[in-house]
Amino acid sequence: MSFVKTWLHNFLDIMLHELRGIFKDVGVLIIFFVGGLGYPIVYSLVYHNGILEDTPIAVVDDSADPYSRRYIRELDATREVSVAYSCVNMEEARSLLQKRKVNGIVYFPRDFGEKVVRGETAKLSIYADMSSFLYYKNLLMGANFVMLDEIKNIQIERFSAAGYSGQTLSQLVEPMKYEDNNPYNRAFSYGIFFLSAALLLVIQQTMFYGMSLRAGTMREESHSPALLPSVVEGSGVGRVVLGRGAAYWLLYMGIGMYIAYIIPAAFGLPQRGDFRDIFILLLFFITDCVLFCSTWSSLITRRETVFILFLFMSPVALFLTGFSWPTSAFPAFWKYFSYIFPSTFGCQAFINLNTAGGDLSTVRDLIAALAVQTIVYYVLSSVAIYVENWIIRHKELLQQKRNLVEERIGRGLGDRVSMDL
Amino acid sequence: MSSWSQIRTVIRREIGIWIKRPIYVVGSLLTIVFCTVFFLTFLKDGLPSDLPIGVVDLDHSTFSRNFTAQLDATQLGEVIQYDDFASARSAMQKGEITSFCLIPENMYADVQAGRQPTMTFYVNGLYFVGGALAWKDLLTMTNLTGGAIKRQVLRAKGMNETQMQGLLRPVDIDTHQIGNMMTDYGVYLTNSLLPGILEMIVILIVVYSLGTELKYGTSRHLLEKSGMSITRALAGKLIVYTLYFSVIGIIMMLILYHWMHFPMQGSIWNMFLAIVLLVLASEGVAVFIIGLLPVLRFAVSVSAIYSILGFSLAGFTLPVETMMPWLQGLAAAFPLRHYYLFFVQESLFGAGFAGWWTQVIWLLAFLLPPLAVLPRLKNAYIYQNYAKN
Repeated sequence: MSFVKTWLHNFLDIMLHELRGIFKDVGVLIIFFVGGLGYPIVYSLVYHNGILEDTPIAVVDDSADPYSRRYIRELDATREVSVAYSCVNMEEARSLLQKRKVNGIVYFPRDFGEKVVRGETAKLSIYADMSSFLYYKNLLMGANFVMLDEIKNIQIERFSAAGYSGQTLSQLVEPMKYEDNNPYNRAFSYGIFFLSAALLLVIQQTMFYGMSLRAGTMREESHSPALLPSVVEGSGVGRVVLGRGAAYWLLYMGIGMYIAYIIPAAFGLPQRGDFRDIFILLLFFITDCVLFCSTWSSLITRRETVFILFLFMSPVALFLTGFSWPTSAFPAFWKYFSYIFPSTFGCQAFINLNTAGGDLSTVRDLIAALAVQTIVYYVLSSVAIYVENWIIRHKELLQQKRNLVEERIGRGLGDRVSMDL
Repeated sequence: MSSWSQIRTVIRREIGIWIKRPIYVVGSLLTIVFCTVFFLTFLKDGLPSDLPIGVVDLDHSTFSRNFTAQLDATQLGEVIQYDDFASARSAMQKGEITSFCLIPENMYADVQAGRQPTMTFYVNGLYFVGGALAWKDLLTMTNLTGGAIKRQVLRAKGMNETQMQGLLRPVDIDTHQIGNMMTDYGVYLTNSLLPGILEMIVILIVVYSLGTELKYGTSRHLLEKSGMSITRALAGKLIVYTLYFSVIGIIMMLILYHWMHFPMQGSIWNMFLAIVLLVLASEGVAVFIIGLLPVLRFAVSVSAIYSILGFSLAGFTLPVETMMPWLQGLAAAFPLRHYYLFFVQESLFGAGFAGWWTQVIWLLAFLLPPLAVLPRLKNAYIYQNYAKN
């Protein structure tokens, strides 16, 4: 009984101490509250529209016949592209492309109309600006939709001329139909796609930078988080890890709910998931993040190190969630590497729950992975604290040993040993 | 002492600092090496192949089996069969497949009888690349299958192959991708992401180097060496960083355009110019940030927030014209944006000087804001009157 009492007492003390430390440190507050609360807003604003419509294109119509003119009209009517310039030759169109007045060119060769009339395959050419894949996608989709439609139109003309009509004609032109659905992101909005993955990553990354800033500062001021209170010397590792973690956990459950519930509601992102399911995901994800951050922040010995050495991990971790380049195409090494990050599982679970509207059964495996990760990181962060504490307590002993080595084999080697330590 | 020898003293001092505490310089190099290896190996396939695509075959005819086999045989797709709609839908929600198609019952019989059955496909647009490609693959296969049926019917009506060709495919599109002929996703992203990482590292390291003088109270020592001139002190320090990062940048360009043979319409020499300008502009941003906020801990946090935002606002993924007007204006405040526009002109269009000179002016303009904060930085260096931490 008294053990439980002391445990809780120490736990609370450590947690409150850490919370006080967080709120005294403006750098950490910038990361948590400007970064954690502000980034989701900025991203939502940047990707608010997220749909590229009416990409301007130039048309060069050397054929100038009813077929090419109809094609151009239909092209202009698509959501994807709009015909901004009608050029007399390719030179003019190319210079417009280079001046970035247009992001694509559609070219009808001189024999386009003749070929249609002769019943041959008429070819048109499209030239896409590859500076953004969205320009390419728009031009490709626009041109292809119109092509499919034109094929149907021309076939109807031909078959009608051959004497077919009514039901027979329709069967000839369209023996089978198709229907496409994109239920979770109807317009292929870049915003919905990007934000669904990035939101939870903000939780992990800002927590990691903030916690590392704290850990680095504490080590600089040489009261490392690994300095156990004297009462719990040796056996209090669990209390320290959990007590410190609880401070961040409490803060981030708040920030996490803001990111997972309020931001999507405020910016009109889809919220198809069940409130409780997402809450359960947050519980697992944030617990995992806390222990992940507490493990890796043991490497940070100085305050600013974390940004300089680890800021680049943000874009890397984003790619490793598999939101853009599909997970099935990951090289094996990077697939295993991605298991280091809670975001690999958390972001996908959030996409499945919140945006695709799945229930807990669709994220069962991901949550299990988060749970396994949590256990591993709990053990690792405890070991890290224990080892660091041991080193701090045995500093003098280590120093003596070092001196001994130096005496015995001269300075040169001693330096090397001290670097190793 | 002449000013040049004062600058030289500062340079020697800076190199001394590097040798004494090499972690940041070595760390920055390792970061760039890691990212280069990461993006070049992670996206090395260029286009994903064997994407899992679901098929729910309720027809069980030779026709539907043939369709499934053909879809499986495409380079892009790999078919996973599901028994019913519910299990395919749940697999899509889990993200196991990015799309699936539903072949209805009696599909083949309906086609034969001219009842025009409908095949349905579903795409998960939350996975952009995978979803869009799988969707394209399904669309192509459906059209090809439709064509094959028409071909059978027409052949039965006694038409010959040449007549049929023009009738089945009266219009065709010939697609040219300017600057990225293979539609290589890796080339597309790496071209802008790696310089973005470089921008980030330059800003962080320079802010750190200038701020650390304040943090450890060595700034007066620095000014003594430079004869109390902030300009010479900065010149000495920045010469070292400019050289160091320019060399890294040039090696990066060589790796991309020479060694990896990324598409390049223009000249690699112009890209050297671009990357050196990016380094200079990023240093300008860094000096401005530390001058404005001469407290290392704030400056580093602000630099981190700024440089991560740069990736989104450069506009190489989502074009800036989709963003709100004020954000389009804000995008100009990131060197990476101008580097990207330079790169597009040089590498995609081979436009040369006429195409990118405005971007050069933009990038050079980043050297001006630091002038405004130099007196402030000098005061901070002399009086060290800001919070050290």
